[in-house]
Amino acid sequence: MSGVFTKAMARNIFYGGSVFFFLLFLALTFDTERELPNRDNRAELTESAKAGKHIWETRNCIGCHTLLGEGAYFAPELGNVYERRGPEFIKAWIQAQPTGAPGRRQMPQFHLTDEELDELVAFFKYTNGINTANWPPNIEG
Amino acid sequence: MQYKSQAVAMPYFIAAIGLFVGQIIFGLIMGLQYIIGDFLFPAIPFNIARMVHTNLLIVWLLFGFMGAAYYMVPEEAETELASPKLALGLFWIFLVAGALTIVGYLLVPYETLAEMTGNNILATMGREFLEQPLITKVGIVVVVLGFLFNISLTVLKGRKTAVSMVLLLGLWGLAIFFLFSFYNPDNLVRDKFYWWWVVHLWVEGVWELIMAALLAFVLIKVTGVDREVIEKWLYVIITLALVTGIIGTGHHYFWIGAPEYWQWWGSIFSALEPLPFFAMTVFAFNMVNRRRREHPNKAAVLWALGTGVMAFLGAGVWGFLHTLAPVNYFTHGSQITAAHGHMAFYGAYVMVVLTIISYAMPILRGRAANPERAQVLEMWAFWLMTVGMVFITLFLTAAGILQVWLQRVSDTPMSYMATQDQLMLFYWMREWAGVMFFVGLLCYLVSFFVKGGTATPARA
Amino acid sequence: MNTTHSPAAPQPAHAPRLAGDLAIWIFILAELLAFGVFFAAYAFTRASNVALFDAEQLALSRNAGALNTVLLLTAGYFVVRAVQAAEHAADRIAGHWLAAAIACGTGFLAVKMFEYAHAFQADISLSSSPFHMFYLSLTFFHFMHVILGLVILIALWKNVRAGRYRLGDMNGLETGAAYWHMVDLVWLVLFPLVYVIH
Repeated sequence: MSGVFTKAMARNIFYGGSVFFFLLFLALTFDTERELPNRDNRAELTESAKAGKHIWETRNCIGCHTLLGEGAYFAPELGNVYERRGPEFIKAWIQAQPTGAPGRRQMPQFHLTDEELDELVAFFKYTNGINTANWPPNIEG
Repeated sequence: MQYKSQAVAMPYFIAAIGLFVGQIIFGLIMGLQYIIGDFLFPAIPFNIARMVHTNLLIVWLLFGFMGAAYYMVPEEAETELASPKLALGLFWIFLVAGALTIVGYLLVPYETLAEMTGNNILATMGREFLEQPLITKVGIVVVVLGFLFNISLTVLKGRKTAVSMVLLLGLWGLAIFFLFSFYNPDNLVRDKFYWWWVVHLWVEGVWELIMAALLAFVLIKVTGVDREVIEKWLYVIITLALVTGIIGTGHHYFWIGAPEYWQWWGSIFSALEPLPFFAMTVFAFNMVNRRRREHPNKAAVLWALGTGVMAFLGAGVWGFLHTLAPVNYFTHGSQITAAHGHMAFYGAYVMVVLTIISYAMPILRGRAANPERAQVLEMWAFWLMTVGMVFITLFLTAAGILQVWLQRVSDTPMSYMATQDQLMLFYWMREWAGVMFFVGLLCYLVSFFVKGGTATPARA
Repeated sequence: MNTTHSPAAPQPAHAPRLAGDLAIWIFILAELLAFGVFFAAYAFTRASNVALFDAEQLALSRNAGALNTVLLLTAGYFVVRAVQAAEHAADRIAGHWLAAAIACGTGFLAVKMFEYAHAFQADISLSSSPFHMFYLSLTFFHFMHVILGLVILIALWKNVRAGRYRLGDMNGLETGAAYWHMVDLVWLVLFPLVYVIH
């Protein structure tokens, strides 16, 4: 078998193929945006939950925990923590940190106010309601 | 060195290596925190150490890419760099801004840092890998735009080769997709969806163009194979990379609230993502086998071949292991993800930057290759780091399999923390593999200072 | 480019010759692999939902599908004739064949859009059922290939009219033709698989 193999053709295929697949990606993104209202639990995305997300971000929680499986793998998954632990446990737990148990992993004390704690819980409640195609496999995350 | 202005690459490479050392030190700290939970607490909590570890990686790779571009583009374009002064100025700005950011992470509580740096005006912080304060993000954009301006101008006024066009395209893509880091909607699903437009479309998209261009450049130089041949394959490889990688983004959309068809689109296209890496490995070995001359820099050839193999293993094989949705359902967000991340970043991006440094640094220091003894030590560093990384990956994979089994597959699932206690043996072994990696890194540093009797003179 | 190849020089008489550029064949193989995996996924999923797949499959218009098959095959035949004409230096005729192929391809897009409009009115979307997911994904992925194929054919048509291809210098034309035939081939699997077999 013999054939030509030109750089110009390889280049054209590169540009054509990249544009093609990027457009396909945009089309799927467009459909995703249309479908999201059915899945992303925006009904529970209250002002309080939004404030909770801000607290989540400014304490860099993702640096230890995962949220819907993304983040660091040093501390438990929190996407379903609302269901696993319930609001009161979550608040008490955050307030009790760090445990100081020798040799154990420690979570910092963030000095959150009661209102901030409620907002964080609202964020977890919102997150818990997102349709994640049944992930995680069980309540332990 | 053919063009005087290529010399600006040197500080970039030195900074890259320096930050690399910092990254590994923080990696070792975190590895120990996995075992001795309260190690260095509360001085350096895990989340801070991790942020420093990952951000240093990103910044030093950027330094490496920029240094590589400053070295390669004048030689490819056959003209001096448009403005060496701008390149040097941006270097110091980037270095100081990067250092201040890291110092900020370590010394200022994160929420205070956020308040001080305008996060309340535009909240972008606190998302994995994009933790940088707003002003640092803006700084990155400014530096990268200045850099792009400089090298684009250089390419425009000189010879336009496939290597430099692909490199430019990759670097422009890097800048453009970084802009999505400024978009942080309240809606968590959309936040995550577009967050991947930075992270995935970087590492499995435009960065692959940069990587392929760097590798092609070094292969042209060290093998003497005809540029036409190498550039043709360069195009084929990056076509495969983007064709599979763009829709392959879908493998991150399985469980974050996006529609479920992504499980099919993501699985199918990311299952094909090993193809470009495999092609790259075959390509690198082929070109070296067809070499028309023996380049005195053996270490650079070793790095180039190693990049091909390790990128294929780390990004290709370890990526494929858990990319299919039914598998990923169980492995998502476990130590298996960590295993893949480590080997993929090392194999693809760390090694390709070390390849270009290995090739260019001796020339920047006025010789074609380092003396024999320095090269031997550098090759020791190669093997220690690479084998160390292979072991890190294997131990994390073992930890991940056990974790998935105990916590997710079992009929009586254990809690997260109870599971972690069962993984300690693997975490210890990972830490020792990390020490091996660090020893390799020290050898690498020392290799720059080894003097030998017979340095190869710079070629004409 | 391949202008350096003189017409007589390159091949011994009986050496098998790869029509078109090697680069497109690598790309075609990758594309067929992607479609192949997608088809396998369809068959695999269908096996566990046969009743649902059959019911929703019946709602598709097999007439539209058959019409489109004819259109694509005809276009493929026209492309073959165009290549043959160009080999005989009959550029004007080759241009006509290509224009006819482009017309057939455009017809395919029109029929398909008609089908899609129908589907969207019936609230069919990627998320409405597994069958619809596959039906829309596969056909839309193919639909985009037809669009790209048409862009390529139009480029070839312009080049043919400019007299760019000669015997021994057919690389560009053959490459584009090879791509179009792949688009045909994929449809020949897709149509029976998604529209007919149950």
